[in-house]
Amino acid sequence: MKANTQANLLLPTNEDTVGPYFPINFSDPLLEDLSQFESGITAQPEGVPIILKGRLIDRYGELANGTVVEFWQANAKGVYRSPKHEGNPDIDPWFWGYGRLRTESGDFEFKTIMPGPCADRAPNITITLFSDGISRIVTQIFFADQTGNASDPLLQSLSREDQAKLSARHEGQSDCGSKIYTIDIVMAGENEIPFFDDLIREGE
Amino acid sequence: MPNSGRRLEIGPTDNTSDQRTPRNRLRLIPEIARESFAPYVPQRGLSRQNDWDLTRIAPDLPRAEGVAIEVSGKLQNERGTPISNAMLEIWNANHFGRYRHIEDHSNIPLDEHFLGTGRVFTDSEGNYTFWTISPGAYLARPDIGRWRPKHIHISVSGGGSRLITQLYFPDEPNNASDPMAILMGDDFERNIGKPYETPHIDVDSGLNFDIVVGGRNAVYFE
Repeated sequence: MKANTQANLLLPTNEDTVGPYFPINFSDPLLEDLSQFESGITAQPEGVPIILKGRLIDRYGELANGTVVEFWQANAKGVYRSPKHEGNPDIDPWFWGYGRLRTESGDFEFKTIMPGPCADRAPNITITLFSDGISRIVTQIFFADQTGNASDPLLQSLSREDQAKLSARHEGQSDCGSKIYTIDIVMAGENEIPFFDDLIREGE
Repeated sequence: MPNSGRRLEIGPTDNTSDQRTPRNRLRLIPEIARESFAPYVPQRGLSRQNDWDLTRIAPDLPRAEGVAIEVSGKLQNERGTPISNAMLEIWNANHFGRYRHIEDHSNIPLDEHFLGTGRVFTDSEGNYTFWTISPGAYLARPDIGRWRPKHIHISVSGGGSRLITQLYFPDEPNNASDPMAILMGDDFERNIGKPYETPHIDVDSGLNFDIVVGGRNAVYFE
């Protein structure tokens, strides 16, 4: 802990586990399908529709049921809808980039559009897991068939084996023509995927 | 000077924690990638009529069993700046310790007048208020006799703020043995509400819980 420079800051409230009973009635279909805007509006986000099919797997190879999964990504032009990019002409008015779902079984399907590359980054989706037994873990998922992976600074900070664990594979198309990508998110144990520390900075 | 991230701890007596906690140290995020790890949550999710009052399912229905309480507090960032228009999603067990959730298979009774979920938004000064029934503690691990202490789940989202936490009650016998409380150590104290009196409103007592969102290495300050 850096006692001096942070002395004037308030201590953050502790994160705690979401537990097994995140209310299903808090679900919002619009947050599970970012390839659509609100129904009844003649508008769609720009970009290639994709479906990310994931499996959340625990230390014993079982599905991690009841997990809340959140997604955060750039639009097709690689722009995040955040205050930093306010006024950017490449903001897509029909795309926010934040998604959320609760998976009953541990399988999920997240409909969205392929994020664009931005700055020096390859296309990726940040994934946050809130589940019983843990408070919050985060990682980023990449796409095996997209360019830029070989020079992505985050991917390149990992071993080849770990890079592969974060790469979703293209496996066919849906009836609606969306490209399907699959990923196994192993939370613990053998084949555990890399998770990232968004509290600690390098060198602190 | 750690050059690697934290190793997450496993909650003692918590099977799910053993199953789902990553065993490897968390990886550090290269500076250039840090911004991409800070979601910005759009304003959304209108709350329904009466969503601030979990003590009854609808305004025209009777109160649920148990002790009605008010929970209120201020939402702010580490610098003490109030966070307005953030959504708090709230859920808690009923007076007996049962959730009205399709996956809660315990034999504890449901209360026909209690739903146990609600949503409120913070006002321009970051303040929030809701009413609920003081939840029952429940036996989470009958095999080893471990209880979950009384608690209210609160999920905060809006703008650069994202936090899921639990509010605990003072002087509860099961606080000390709770696996998540054990992991928090001395910090657990900050997740316990501070009682106040509520003389002029239709609840028995109040619990103050100020929430500070922070700690991340990439955030958006408004």
